[in-house]
Amino acid sequence: MRIDTLRIRLNSIFKKSLAVLSFVLAPMMLLAADVIEPPKEFSIANFDWITILSVLLALLIILVIARAFDIGALTEKITGKTVVSWNNINAWVAIIFLVAGLFGVWYELKVHGPLLMLGNSASLHGDTYDSMFYWTFGFTFFVFVVTEVLLFYFMFRYRYNENRKALYYFHNNKLEIIWTIVPSIVLTFLVLRGFTTWSKITTEIPKESQEIEVFAYQFGWKARYAGEDGSLGNQNFNFISGSNPLGVAEAGQVDELVKELEGEISKLEAFKASADDSILAWKGRYDRFVATGLSRTYPEDFKTLKTKFNDGVSGAYVRTLEKDIKRKRTALNRIAEYKKDDGFFDGTANDDRVTTEIVLVKNKPYIFKFRARDVIHSAYMPDFRVQMNCVPGMPTQFAFTPTMTTTEARSIKNKPEYDYYLFCNKICGAAHYNMKIKVTVVENEAEYNTWLASQAPLVAPKVAEQTPAAETEGIETEATDNTVAMN
Amino acid sequence: MSTAALHADSHHDHHEHKESFISKYVFSMDHKMISKQFLITGIVMGIIGMTMSLIFRLQLAWPDEQFGFMETLLGKWAVDGKLDPNFYMGLVTIHGTIMVFYVLTAGLSGTFSNLLIPLQVGARDMASPFMNMLSYWFFLASSITLLSSVFIETGPASGGWTVYPPLSALEKAMPGSGLGMTLWLSAIALFIISSLLGGINYISTVLNMRTKGMSMNRMPLTIWAFFFTAILGLLSFPVLLGAALFLIFDRSFGTSFYLSDIYLEGVGALENIGGSPVLYQHLFWFLGHPEVYIILMPALGITSEVISTNARKPIFGYTAMVISLMGISFLSFIVWGHHMFITGMNPFLGSVFMILTLIIAVPSAVKAFNYLTTLWKGNLRFTPAMLFSIGLVSFFISGGLTGIYLGNAALDIQLHDSYFVVAHFHLVMGSAAIFGMLAGIYHWFPKMYGRMMNNTLGYFHFWITFITAYLVFFPMHFMGLAGVPRRYYQFTLLEDFNVWMDVNKLITVSAIVGGAAQLLFIYNFFYSIFKGKKATANPWQANSLEWSTPVERIHGNWPGEIPTVYRGPYEYSRPDREEDFFPQYVPDDSAPEVLHTEEHQVAPEEKSPEEVESSVFFAAIKRVFGLS
Repeated sequence: MRIDTLRIRLNSIFKKSLAVLSFVLAPMMLLAADVIEPPKEFSIANFDWITILSVLLALLIILVIARAFDIGALTEKITGKTVVSWNNINAWVAIIFLVAGLFGVWYELKVHGPLLMLGNSASLHGDTYDSMFYWTFGFTFFVFVVTEVLLFYFMFRYRYNENRKALYYFHNNKLEIIWTIVPSIVLTFLVLRGFTTWSKITTEIPKESQEIEVFAYQFGWKARYAGEDGSLGNQNFNFISGSNPLGVAEAGQVDELVKELEGEISKLEAFKASADDSILAWKGRYDRFVATGLSRTYPEDFKTLKTKFNDGVSGAYVRTLEKDIKRKRTALNRIAEYKKDDGFFDGTANDDRVTTEIVLVKNKPYIFKFRARDVIHSAYMPDFRVQMNCVPGMPTQFAFTPTMTTTEARSIKNKPEYDYYLFCNKICGAAHYNMKIKVTVVENEAEYNTWLASQAPLVAPKVAEQTPAAETEGIETEATDNTVAMN
Repeated sequence: MSTAALHADSHHDHHEHKESFISKYVFSMDHKMISKQFLITGIVMGIIGMTMSLIFRLQLAWPDEQFGFMETLLGKWAVDGKLDPNFYMGLVTIHGTIMVFYVLTAGLSGTFSNLLIPLQVGARDMASPFMNMLSYWFFLASSITLLSSVFIETGPASGGWTVYPPLSALEKAMPGSGLGMTLWLSAIALFIISSLLGGINYISTVLNMRTKGMSMNRMPLTIWAFFFTAILGLLSFPVLLGAALFLIFDRSFGTSFYLSDIYLEGVGALENIGGSPVLYQHLFWFLGHPEVYIILMPALGITSEVISTNARKPIFGYTAMVISLMGISFLSFIVWGHHMFITGMNPFLGSVFMILTLIIAVPSAVKAFNYLTTLWKGNLRFTPAMLFSIGLVSFFISGGLTGIYLGNAALDIQLHDSYFVVAHFHLVMGSAAIFGMLAGIYHWFPKMYGRMMNNTLGYFHFWITFITAYLVFFPMHFMGLAGVPRRYYQFTLLEDFNVWMDVNKLITVSAIVGGAAQLLFIYNFFYSIFKGKKATANPWQANSLEWSTPVERIHGNWPGEIPTVYRGPYEYSRPDREEDFFPQYVPDDSAPEVLHTEEHQVAPEEKSPEEVESSVFFAAIKRVFGLS
């Protein structure tokens, strides 16, 4: 009898360790191999039939093991002896998971903890932010560890035993009141602290803050600084054109735009007038393509032609033209309204600098005014604990004071190449992942002034000829309608 | 043993008729068949959604590699085996949409509300079987519409699952905003119709069709959860429909609800101005926030049932559980603004939403503590369903706690749209709800198919999934805290993020292992449907009403009269009973109905030393607060 029990024990220990191996260690080893040694040779590009087969093989092995256990269960039923106790195995795996999991948490904190953007913020409000974070972290981490430990400990401790009956314990008002009240108190504390932190960050804006316009478009950023007159010029999206990407109220530019729009309208009118001829010409070409078999040689061209031809016949072509004309007329009307307002084109925009880099002075308060012209973007500067959406048609802002120069950040992070960036953090299209602008914090006003002087103003002082410095490769230069350009 | 014979014996109200294949399996009006239809469709959608995530995870881990098989699979979207950035966005969007709506709303709530509401409240079928059938077919039409958008030339909708305009409204903003977006909106409109048809049915069935003795306070917590879920859906989905309609108008009819001041591709893109993109976000999140509870609450309900059954112990604090569900449901309608702290909303409004949001943590904490206490001094049977439920509790805690960071407007400045958010909602909403769904499948499989699933495979499935889920989502918290933005196609152009390459690889490898583990489940599921061990009527020795139905799943559920309910659903391990369970439908005049009042609080006869030791924690709490 005793030997029998011993044999069963040994058997179950063997199976336990087998289960432990396959459950915990095997996947972990697989993963550990990847983490510990940076996978230089390990390339998943060789992801081919061999890989797929080995995955299937692994699954097959699990199936076989499962089948073996099923046979074990059958034996159990026949002999009436417990061979495999899955309740015990699961309980043990739970405990191992708990230990391994806590180790994992510790490992993450140790290895990745130093990489986090905490404790070395580059802005004044960043420290308040970080302290708020640490308080929250303290509470939640404590609760996390206690509850998870209890959960897995209970799993182990109260695993099934047929000789035991569970405690018939339906409720306990006192206990329930305690764990309603205690979290409430903790949360009240966090809410109050969060409230003050949030109000401080969003509403306490120093009067002397310098305004910088940060402008987002698919896919890039521009910054606009006030020039020597110290004030940012007006802007409106109706003035946006290839040479005026931000739509700044600059009288000469706008006159050009009006001329351009009028030209386009007359061009579109002409297309509209000759629409019937165009459609006939397309039909001719279309028939020729079909007749000569060119449609098979140049399927792409044929497809384009066919679309055009169909649009022409269905009237979509003329409708598109009419829509474009109407839209451009509306734009002209809107511009005319603005031109009536003398105060709008007050010339303050002339000395504005539109730049492809943001330069800030340490310890000087700033207020960023955000604009976007196509879709929603989000200006995200994790080093400064700053984020705000840039919404077309709705100006937004964020005020902060940088406290650490780029040079200081480099030495603190021990990365000589380190730079601050402003990223886009709201999905905005294909190149969302590469939409950023460099932010440099300099030590003093003098450095900043030198930099600003090197940037060309929007309208060059009278001595020089016109230099459209704002124009860069990021922006579409041609303002023509591409529906018509297909002609 | 044919069902026909049972039908002949039965004298329920249903008209006797011979069912054809079409009326039994296709256009079925039987709630159990409809629930299976929802489940199978949900599983298929789940596999598709998961495969999509694996494809974009490969891109994130090995951005410079070329995957030959990807070109075979995706054609022009992966020329030379390198994923196209637009299609990456499309995958992210469709993965999110599928998982949130099609798997975790319809697949979870649709399956289990349909299966369990009539069975657990004691009804022959849903209040309106026909509407119920329509609900499924709208859902299927919606699924097909959504999936078809993956195959069109311009690709699927790719503005993220929240499809914020103007990105989603302007065809020129990205290819996916063309036909793909139109299909997405149509799919969602169909989905909402399906969801509303289902929801009305669930509510009326719960309110009107409970059997004799099934008072509201004797309903299992699953029913309470489905009931509140249906109410949430009924109140919030129409708002999304409104938002979608406005968006359709903006896209196709030249209105400007969400658009203003747009200049795109060299032209001012709009005739009208004056709309607000933020309006869409308000409307969307008015659904969107209740939606996460629409996803989570059924899973919590299932967990309550499974944990209590397998701990052989009454669920701790039944009333508190119901009140928490009620509180969460109510609060979920007034916290949507926490998704919008940094949209430029008035900061004061942000403060209000922050306070309301953090209040939700209280009922959530109560639920977590109650689960723990239910396990305490239980007699835990680790069926796969039980393991998945415990896994859910673990995810609910880990993921829920990070909600305290994100609900705090100040902390959200830094964390918004970073990987921290990805980690948070994948744990608390994604993994937790999926675990609830899997627990439900393992637990009620015998009721669905009359057979048992293989437990051993279930254990492997659970542990691999559980471990890999943590390996995938836990490190993402750290990425987010380091300022890594989400929805980035690759990080190679941003040198500072290169340190996370190893972590990205770890996440992808874990995701692949976890994904492969689901094959075990798929095999187990389909194999067991046909070849599984035959089930008995009540294989888990559970209390609730559905286990009184015969193994052959007959139309009308019970062959004779619907049983009467005599007590609550969680009378496990009553000291006055020999057996450790006491079903709701078993009459016993000698046993008092309720034992669990204060006067009848029954202490265990004698405490073993271990039991005393393990109650130290609770004893300590009591001592600290001076309770006896």
